[in-house]
Amino acid sequence: MVIDIESWISSFLMFSITIYITSFSLYLVRIIKGPTLPDMVIAIDALGYDLAAFFIVLSVLFRSPILIICAIVLTLWIYALDIYVAKYLEHKELGD
Amino acid sequence: MQETLNLILVIIGQIMVAIGLLCDIIAAILMIRFPNFYVRLHALTIGSIGGAVVPMIGAGLIALGSPFLGDHRWYLAGGAFVAAFFTFILGGAGTHAISRAAYRSKTVVLDPCYVDHLAEDKGEKTC
Repeated sequence: MVIDIESWISSFLMFSITIYITSFSLYLVRIIKGPTLPDMVIAIDALGYDLAAFFIVLSVLFRSPILIICAIVLTLWIYALDIYVAKYLEHKELGD
Repeated sequence: MQETLNLILVIIGQIMVAIGLLCDIIAAILMIRFPNFYVRLHALTIGSIGGAVVPMIGAGLIALGSPFLGDHRWYLAGGAFVAAFFTFILGGAGTHAISRAAYRSKTVVLDPCYVDHLAEDKGEKTC
C-alpha cells in the first residue's frame, strides 16, 4: 500500500488552518472586550503563542524555513511584553 | 525501513498537532467564558502549553518525516524544537510575572470572590 504522504500532510495542515483562524478570532473578542489591562495582555499572550505555532505549521505547509525565524522572535517578544507590563503595573523594580 | 520510520514520525506529529488544535479551541472558548482575570490565567496556560508547545513539537516531527521538503526539513525541525523550548520556559515565567503584578497593584477586581488566602496571610481584608 503506497500512501501519498505529501498530499496527506498538506490536506491535514490546510484543515488545521480553519481551526486556528477560529480560535484567533475568539481571542480577538477578548482583546477588544477585556475590561482591564491585564485581561487584554493575557489574551495577547495566548494569541501570540498560538500565532507562533501557526507560523511553524505554515512553514511546513509552504515549505519555506523563513517563517521559523519569525516564530522564535515572536515568542521572545511576547515574554518581553509580559515583563514590560508587569513592571509598568508595579511601578518599581521586579524581583525583590 | 526509511519509509516506515517517516510514516511513524508523521503520524505521531499529526496526533500532536491534533491535540494542539483541540487545546487551542478549548482555550479560546474558555478565554471568553471565564468570569475574572485569575481564572482566565488557567485558559492562558492551556493555550500556551497545550496549544503552542505540543503542536510545535508535532510540526517539527512532521517536518522530520517529510522527505519532500528536501534539506530544509532539518532546519525546520530544529527551529520548531527551539521555539517549543522557548515557549515552554518563557510562557510560565511571563504568566507568573503578569499575575503577580496584577495582584500587587490591585488592578483587577476579584469578582466573584470565594477565598483569598494571600490576603488572609498578609492580614488584609478578604473578599
